[in-house]
Amino acid sequence: MIEKLFTLDVVYALTGIVLFIFAAMTFMDKSNPRRFGSGMFWLLLGVIFAFGSWMPYWLTGVLVLAMVALDGLGRVTRGNVGEPASEQDVREPDVRAPFGNQIFVPVIAIPVVTFFFAILFRQLGMDANRGALVGLGFGGLAAMVIALGLTRAGFKTLMNEGRRLNEAMGAVNILPQLLASLGVIFTAAKVGDLIAGGIQSVIPGNNLFLLVLANCLGMALFTIVMGNSFAAFPVIATGVLVPLIIQPFGVNPAMAAIITLTAGSSGTLMTPMAANFNIVPAALLNLRDQYGVIKFQLPYALTIWAFHVLLLWLLIKIS
Amino acid sequence: MANHWALIGVVIIVVGITLKLRTTLVVMAAALATGLVAGLPLFSHEGFFQGIPLLTKPGQTGIVNTLGKAFADNRLMTLFIITLPAVGLSERFGLQEQSAKLIRGIKTATVGRLQIIYQLFRVLHGALGIRLNGHPSFVRPLVFPMSLGAAEKGSEFKLQPATVERIKAANAAAENYGNFYGQNLSPVQAGILLVYGVMNGLGFAVGVWDLVKFTLPVVVASILFAAVQFWLLDRWLNREAAR
Repeated sequence: MIEKLFTLDVVYALTGIVLFIFAAMTFMDKSNPRRFGSGMFWLLLGVIFAFGSWMPYWLTGVLVLAMVALDGLGRVTRGNVGEPASEQDVREPDVRAPFGNQIFVPVIAIPVVTFFFAILFRQLGMDANRGALVGLGFGGLAAMVIALGLTRAGFKTLMNEGRRLNEAMGAVNILPQLLASLGVIFTAAKVGDLIAGGIQSVIPGNNLFLLVLANCLGMALFTIVMGNSFAAFPVIATGVLVPLIIQPFGVNPAMAAIITLTAGSSGTLMTPMAANFNIVPAALLNLRDQYGVIKFQLPYALTIWAFHVLLLWLLIKIS
Repeated sequence: MANHWALIGVVIIVVGITLKLRTTLVVMAAALATGLVAGLPLFSHEGFFQGIPLLTKPGQTGIVNTLGKAFADNRLMTLFIITLPAVGLSERFGLQEQSAKLIRGIKTATVGRLQIIYQLFRVLHGALGIRLNGHPSFVRPLVFPMSLGAAEKGSEFKLQPATVERIKAANAAAENYGNFYGQNLSPVQAGILLVYGVMNGLGFAVGVWDLVKFTLPVVVASILFAAVQFWLLDRWLNREAAR
């Protein structure tokens, strides 16, 4: 029962249904100058969400190409749904918050249900991370029910408010999925081997500090390209860390490996390729500059990256 | 020897982002170009396009098939869409105003202090082995309006757009700092398991708790550096408010 109902496929199907409703509303939205193209975009995303586990991969790929073409031709725009209040000024009278602190209940339900599922899955011996994702889906659903009950608003208002947030973000929404696909193509084309080979050919084999520097720099650069330190780590570990540092200098492998991984996290903070961390949040918060989050993180990322180089070098020296 | 033309995708990305072209198109162009110069066919040989010359090559997976599979496999990254209706409706009924009001009642609250507390909260999630994307579930509905409330406390005037812009960026950064460096504190998290898997695969018997132990200095540094940056942010906000 639990295995059948509480699966990722059910959550994907629910998200697909939400997207179908968004798409239908966009098709009928006279305030949107490109309502057909925009509606098609969200409809296609809904189809991929609802049926992606069963459609042949080539068909999903063709639908993705169609979505990118719609966005590329400038056909994905937003209607005038209207912002609830001026977000620049929250010193509004109490009329704006008629429910007081109760308005937190639906929003807090989302993480509460997420944690509940993560813990439940772990107790049942299943993957807790999968549980968190399933919980996010059912948390979103529970929050909708609670919000409707609390505010006595209609279902149409609920979906229209969701559509407002979704259209404000627009096609940026699918960037993380697109970039993950690009990463798979990069791997198939052996881009990682090229980068590891390039590093091996430029660094001297005996200067420990320069080797540590090249290792951390390679990890950060490759993460910036891939947008993901997890994709970069196996390449750098195999091509640089193990043959050039761990083996010749007899370094503790656990220490060197985990520090190399987080040297990559500094790269994640600096790259638009990590769209789900840097670009989507900028859209979610309506930043004017889509690179605003990266610009804020840049000095921090450079500092902590330099710290990684010094830390790894010092720990090897004193051991 | 690997084919150096495979780096064409990296070049397309760098040029496209520098020229501020539409990002979805740039990424797709990079994927197609990289796949084609690496000699991959557009479609897989097996199935619908079976045996069509030019489009397929025997025994090779097509670029479009790879794209479709990866896009479907990564739907979890876009799952937050299902939370948008509830968040949107709550915002319509004063979620942001109420969050700001709550924070204005706390005398010692500043924007910077709020960020570091939120970051610690996310580090705690990491240590508990809970992996989640806090941008849609915490940052947009709660942390951002609370930060606005804290910023408006000291000022009689409406916040400048540049100030709001910087606060938003700090909100997203606090989430990323806490998430990235805190998650390695738990041996069941993906990062530790990845390093464990790769290193054991290369013939080094590292233990997961050893990995957690050696990430501690980085976690401490990640919190200290952030505390400095958020303290500087508070000073900047005070100067802006005084103008």
